[in-house]
Amino acid sequence: MTTEDTSSLAAESLSKSFGGVRAVDDATVRFVPGKINAIIGPNGSGKTTFLNCVTGMIRPDSGRVSLRGKEITRASPDRIVRLGLGRSFQACRIFPRMTVTENLLVPVRNRSVRTLLGKAHDDATVRRAQLWLQRLGIDHLHGVEARDLSFGQQKLLELGGVLMSEPEIVILDEPAGGVNPSLIRWISALIQELNAEGRTFVVVEHNMELVMTLSDHVVVFDRGRPIASGTPAEVQADPRVLEAYLGV
Amino acid sequence: MPNDSDLADASAQGASRPWPIPRLLGTGTLGALAILVLSFPFLTDTGYLLSTGVFILNYALMATGWNFVGGFTGYISLGHAAYWGLGAYATAIMITRLDMPWYLALVTSAAAVAVIAVPVGIAALRVRGASFVIVTIAFVMILLLVFQSWAGVTGGSSGLMVPRAFDVLRTQHHQIFFYLYAAALALTLLVWWAIDRSRFGMGLKAIREDEDKARALGVPTYASKLVVFVLSAFFTGLAGGLYALWFGDLDPVFQFSILMGAYMVLMALLGGIRELFGPVLGALVVGVSVEYFKSEFGDTQFHLVATGLLLALVVLFMPEGLIPWLRGLFQRFGPRASSIREVSAGELAEQVEREHAVDEPGSRS
Amino acid sequence: MSGGLFLQSLILGVLLGGLYALMAAGLTLYFGVMRVVMIAHAAFLVLAGYLAWFFTTRTGLDPILSLAVTVPAFFVLGVGIRRLLITRLKPATMTMMSVLLTFALALVIEGLLGFTFTGVQRRIRTGYSSANFEIFGAQVAVVKLIAFVLAVVALGSLWFVLKKTSLGQALRATIQHREAAELVGIDTDKVAGYGFGIGLATAAVGGTALALDATIYPSLHWHWIGPMMAIIVVGGLGSIPGAAMAAMALGIIHAFLQVPLGATWAQTVFYVALFGTLMVRPQGFFGGRLAQRF
Repeated sequence: MTTEDTSSLAAESLSKSFGGVRAVDDATVRFVPGKINAIIGPNGSGKTTFLNCVTGMIRPDSGRVSLRGKEITRASPDRIVRLGLGRSFQACRIFPRMTVTENLLVPVRNRSVRTLLGKAHDDATVRRAQLWLQRLGIDHLHGVEARDLSFGQQKLLELGGVLMSEPEIVILDEPAGGVNPSLIRWISALIQELNAEGRTFVVVEHNMELVMTLSDHVVVFDRGRPIASGTPAEVQADPRVLEAYLGV
Repeated sequence: MPNDSDLADASAQGASRPWPIPRLLGTGTLGALAILVLSFPFLTDTGYLLSTGVFILNYALMATGWNFVGGFTGYISLGHAAYWGLGAYATAIMITRLDMPWYLALVTSAAAVAVIAVPVGIAALRVRGASFVIVTIAFVMILLLVFQSWAGVTGGSSGLMVPRAFDVLRTQHHQIFFYLYAAALALTLLVWWAIDRSRFGMGLKAIREDEDKARALGVPTYASKLVVFVLSAFFTGLAGGLYALWFGDLDPVFQFSILMGAYMVLMALLGGIRELFGPVLGALVVGVSVEYFKSEFGDTQFHLVATGLLLALVVLFMPEGLIPWLRGLFQRFGPRASSIREVSAGELAEQVEREHAVDEPGSRS
Repeated sequence: MSGGLFLQSLILGVLLGGLYALMAAGLTLYFGVMRVVMIAHAAFLVLAGYLAWFFTTRTGLDPILSLAVTVPAFFVLGVGIRRLLITRLKPATMTMMSVLLTFALALVIEGLLGFTFTGVQRRIRTGYSSANFEIFGAQVAVVKLIAFVLAVVALGSLWFVLKKTSLGQALRATIQHREAAELVGIDTDKVAGYGFGIGLATAAVGGTALALDATIYPSLHWHWIGPMMAIIVVGGLGSIPGAAMAAMALGIIHAFLQVPLGATWAQTVFYVALFGTLMVRPQGFFGGRLAQRF
């Protein structure tokens, strides 16, 4: 083992089987801190299962996950969030019966009893939510119930919820999935901006064009494990990647 | 930039002016209703009416207690009679066997019920949806078996008598318990309200909407559910303890009846589980109907049919409850008032304008 | 425990387990096709028992013949309940609300039975009601054996329908993966209706078998709700054989505990199994993660 990078997220020999299928198979991945990391791979290559293991949504069969040098393998998802690792879901998930603002009031990193018993709509938090909404470009919708939003707006709202939990590392599962091209450009610019402010990103994405322009570091998954990694250019030139995508 | 047509389609719904009148109206109505409730014992000295009033307050307290779990988290417990029965029996046993004063027995037994609810909650809250409902039913069935069989302590099937706490006439007895119940109900409503507006409550409501997503945003879901589960048991147990003191005669079949649990669900759903006063309104409707059925048809099986039909109707046609439905009616036919969510939207808009020049978000500290 | 008593308990357990297995099959069918937990199943068992009793007291014929009427009637009733009630529920809250709705149904059935037939305990009397036969020194009531045979025949027919007919194939496809079944051209809505009907038809058989051997009264279904819930949680509602096996196992354990503990405390075995399962394996022992999620 080399010395642990204290600001990074890493998985070592992570495995997870469902029945007889090894969805994640001895996967070791180091994400580059401060950069935009991307995970790509064919459908069913275990990307989402891998993320679910990393964020504690699924308990891996073996292997370990560390965040800033601290082991988080058996930690619950909510604890992992409070340690600074936020995530979005592949199928956009928001709280449909809450207003846009309320959606952003759910995440709480501070768990003191005083904070928890304090008013949910307290001025400072509502202001912070409002500023995020402005930045995402959906602040005019603050009082609308989330179920009344368009899909693109819901996508932005979900991102807002993740950002409200103040994560140092943001995992986004298909941020461009099902979104129109102009909104993809908007989200892409936003990610770059947020990254420039110091947040590390891990983006799972099928849109190759987006991955290649957006990311600094790409990890390619196939059959439950990373088969290649490097800069977008390096990965594109790797014959194993072509093989995985085109099939044998 | 996202284009405007993509983002603007819902904006019309968000923009609306604040409307302070409903809020004042609400506070006024609330005060008037409270005064009406509190003066009820003076308006009548008919024992029957008074005891019906106490019964309804008991229902209201149970249903509001139930709503700590049902309303916030959306977990429907059909077995909440377990905590009502436990509270009643615990109070009775503490008075008869340990010679405790009634108030001490009441509080201690509610606390004891809360303690018992901890392991039950730990087991039950591991599953969701239907399995959770089933576990809650199972718990009340176990208690029924135990309390019927364990005659040495519980009096078994022949029941348990609780000595009167107050040496007064029947009517006065009812009056005292009317106010005791009203006080307990006020306390319970206050706690529910406090949670409803808190961050903790926001997390709970997120669980009701999408539990996994709430966890992924850092809400400690399991602990949160357990806290409200225990609180719920506490207040339902308190209702049971008061019932033991008031009614003075406990029977396991009545205390641990699934039907009583079904009443709680029905009352809360009927009024509206998202609403502070939903369960109280439901208790009023169900309580009056139950009493009416009893006096009109006697003790037939009709009340089962009526309860079943009403529950089915609510589940099928009014799962949101009466209060949201009434609010909808008011909005459609009433003055051009705005809903609560639109009020808060308006308020927010104002606030944002005021604080427009605040620093950028994301400058992490 | 003496050899004779052991054998007696084992036989009783297997006979009772057969009825539980039939009940488990019905519950799994409802859950499989609609994600519905049918709390009213036990109430329908009691209803079928009453119909069998009514049939016998009125006509003097054997109660088993009532199945010729009740099985098709319950099938139609099942299709109707799904069409008129269950499909009105929102898919998002289907499982939770279906518990409440079918619970309401159980209350209505119990109330109507009490209203129509009063709360008096009823018992079917036939020529063989009190007959016993001896097997390896164990005394077994003939009615218990008949009830068991009924359960086995019903389970066998169910197995045949599921495995050997095209309807069965469609049913299994719908249970396993609804969207995929739709993609290959199965009318899952119709199939789910049939699944519900078949499930309720098994209640007709089970209830008649039950009434052969036991006194019936309107609130009897609460007595069956314990075994039923244990089946749902322990078995996991994932597969019919899994749930049936769990049910059989619980029936046998229950019968064995009845001797040292007595009927009341033996009943707690179902709840112990239920809570034990939750602590050890909340997804159930046979059903995968389905039951936990819904």
